[in-house]
Amino acid sequence: MRRTRKRQASRREQRRTATFLQRRTFWHDGQSAMQDTREKLIEFRDLQKIYRVGTELVHALRGVSLTIHQNEYVAIMGPSGSGKSTLMNILGCLDIPTSGSYLLNGTEVSHLSQSALARIRGRQIGFVFQNFELLPRTTALKNVQLPLMYAMLPRRRQRALAALERVGLADRAKHRPNQLSGGQKQRVAIARALAQEPDIILADEPTGNLDSATGNEIMSIFDELYASGQTIIIVTHEPDIAQRCHRIVTLRDGMIASDILSERGRAEAAPEGRPEFAPAVGAGA
Amino acid sequence: MNTAGRLSRAGHAVAGAAARSGQNILTAFAQIWANRGRSFLTTLGVIIAVTAIITVVSFVEGFGRYMTNMLRGYGTQYMIVWPDISWEQEITGIGRIIMDERDVEAVRTECPDIQRITPFLFTETQVAYRKSSAKQVPTRGVTEAYQVIRNYYVDKGRFFGPMDVEKAADVVVVGRSVLKLLQCDESILGDFVQIADRRFRVIGILEPKGSFMGDDQDETVMIPYTTMLQMFPQMRTTMRFLAEARSEEVIDQAEAQIRRVLRQRHGLTIGQPDDFGISRQDQMLREFGKVRTIAASVLAGIVSISLLVGGIGIMNVMFVSVSERTREIGLRKSVGGRRRDIMLQFLTEAVVLSTTGGAIGVAIGYVLTHMAGMHPQMVDINVPLWSVALALGFSAGAGVIFGVIPAFKAAILHPIDALRHE
Ligand SMILES: Nc1ncnc2c1ncn2[C@@H]1O[C@H](COP(=O)(O)OP(=O)(O)OP(=O)(O)O)[C@@H](O)[C@H]1O
Ligand SMILES: [Mg+2]
Repeated sequence: MRRTRKRQASRREQRRTATFLQRRTFWHDGQSAMQDTREKLIEFRDLQKIYRVGTELVHALRGVSLTIHQNEYVAIMGPSGSGKSTLMNILGCLDIPTSGSYLLNGTEVSHLSQSALARIRGRQIGFVFQNFELLPRTTALKNVQLPLMYAMLPRRRQRALAALERVGLADRAKHRPNQLSGGQKQRVAIARALAQEPDIILADEPTGNLDSATGNEIMSIFDELYASGQTIIIVTHEPDIAQRCHRIVTLRDGMIASDILSERGRAEAAPEGRPEFAPAVGAGA
Repeated sequence: MNTAGRLSRAGHAVAGAAARSGQNILTAFAQIWANRGRSFLTTLGVIIAVTAIITVVSFVEGFGRYMTNMLRGYGTQYMIVWPDISWEQEITGIGRIIMDERDVEAVRTECPDIQRITPFLFTETQVAYRKSSAKQVPTRGVTEAYQVIRNYYVDKGRFFGPMDVEKAADVVVVGRSVLKLLQCDESILGDFVQIADRRFRVIGILEPKGSFMGDDQDETVMIPYTTMLQMFPQMRTTMRFLAEARSEEVIDQAEAQIRRVLRQRHGLTIGQPDDFGISRQDQMLREFGKVRTIAASVLAGIVSISLLVGGIGIMNVMFVSVSERTREIGLRKSVGGRRRDIMLQFLTEAVVLSTTGGAIGVAIGYVLTHMAGMHPQMVDINVPLWSVALALGFSAGAGVIFGVIPAFKAAILHPIDALRHE
């Protein structure tokens, strides 16, 4: 059991480097096979989520199929109530779908036990929330150490410090949330999501509570993480933010309305100066 | 995988678990401190319960030890035999003879397992010396055997002897506290005092005995019982006596012998009740054991009620804590906290809360016991270690029992619902 996990972890590591290299090659060669050469990280097949409110049934997701590969940088957009958060919660194993299949790293997770889901949340997923969700009266460092503690990883302090370093907050390690600005709080939250070296970082409106300048700073951190090989999925209402990602998935009424490359994505995918080469990704509903 | 690797991984797991419980305890203390007002109020029940355990146990233990030592010091070999009379007769001396010198003499000669015997007359008299006088001084009329039976020795002068008793001599042995009452010192030896208008020569001073159950043992004078009978003739018919068995092993036989002799002399037939009573020192010890058991059950009652109240308080505050921290629970779950982790965290908090209350109770108990111990009349008391362990164990147990339901409520929260909580 532990052995497999270890092997999985090292495989993930290799994959991350591999996809990073592939992406590089891809830029140079101008091949359009991006979706096929990268390993599938997330695969949704006909996912449904139905809430029951009293006697009413609320169809939050009505048949979503979506594939996300290693080191993709995805924005999820859509009007309020279109099911973005619902989708993210299922992605993050915080919730389970009513029907359909969800393969994470090739493992079906929609039927896993509570503690197995908790384990996945702790080791493979890093969540960033709109309102930061830092523990009050707890230092930034301790906040970042929280997932490491649950994952029982060794060298928690060093890892947490390294994560704070990556978001540029090493000098605020001893500060408590009420001693930090909104942007700093969100950076601590990102460090917390990073600390466990997850496969995916999921951010539900991470800039929703921040002004646009601070929002941009936060996005720069995501950009850097992406550049170092991290897979990132961000829910946002702001087109500016979405354009900084490479792929934009738009939901409407619990279904995928469109799934396209952003301008940046097209620019990076296409050979120098020839954006018309950009491939159309996914199949919009 | 090699052994070293497995070991180091197991080491990590253990270290991780330890770090987590350490973290849980720290979190618990931080939480309790953040809400110190309400935490204190909710632990009052536990504090009271534990204070009760500590102080009551200390007192009962202290008194128990004291009583036992004291009674052993007074000898456990003797018994007191008294006539079973009405108050009226005791006071007026009018009525039939129930117990007199002939009974005492019969017991002395006919009971083989009795080695010493003395009549024991008791009253309170006024004692005067020069210009000072003391009222209601306990006055005992006995023989020389009394000092041996009760370990009441003189350390200045002498006790009266058989001759003094035979002649009904006007001699007295006084206790140290009486000297104080009479505002004099040991120079009184050889001098005369006035006891109930009769002149007595002081021939001995009793060694200090201290007090027993608040009763000053040194505030007494002793005179030959024969002299006392001359002063209070009505005592002749209702005489008490002390009889000492040959050893602790033969007390039962000695008692039976006394009973047989007295019943025979008093002409009691089978079926008629005794017209006298026999009280044994070892029985007093046993009686005291019963008192202890009663004290223990009363204590158990107080403790269980206040632990129940305290426990419900803790349960209540834990429910409040869980609902206040619903979002925190959601967050903890979203970063990998399992149900059992959350459960353990809140259970730890409840136990830390109740055990802290217990520790405060122990501290208060110590202080109270110490303060009581400083009183000069107080027996030597201290807090037995086992009562501390017991009290802390009980309070931790209350934390577990009353923390389980709130902790479970926290553990089964759905992560999303918890995070959405306002
Ligand atoms: N716990 C729930 N119980 C019942 N209905 C729910 C629940 N959560 C979400 N819904 C419903 O599901 C639908 C999708 O909600 P969701 O939160 O995913 O929307 P969203 O796209 O994130 O919206 P927003 O942009 O406002 O955050 C909504 O109609 C919402 O009312
Ligand atoms: Mg939402």
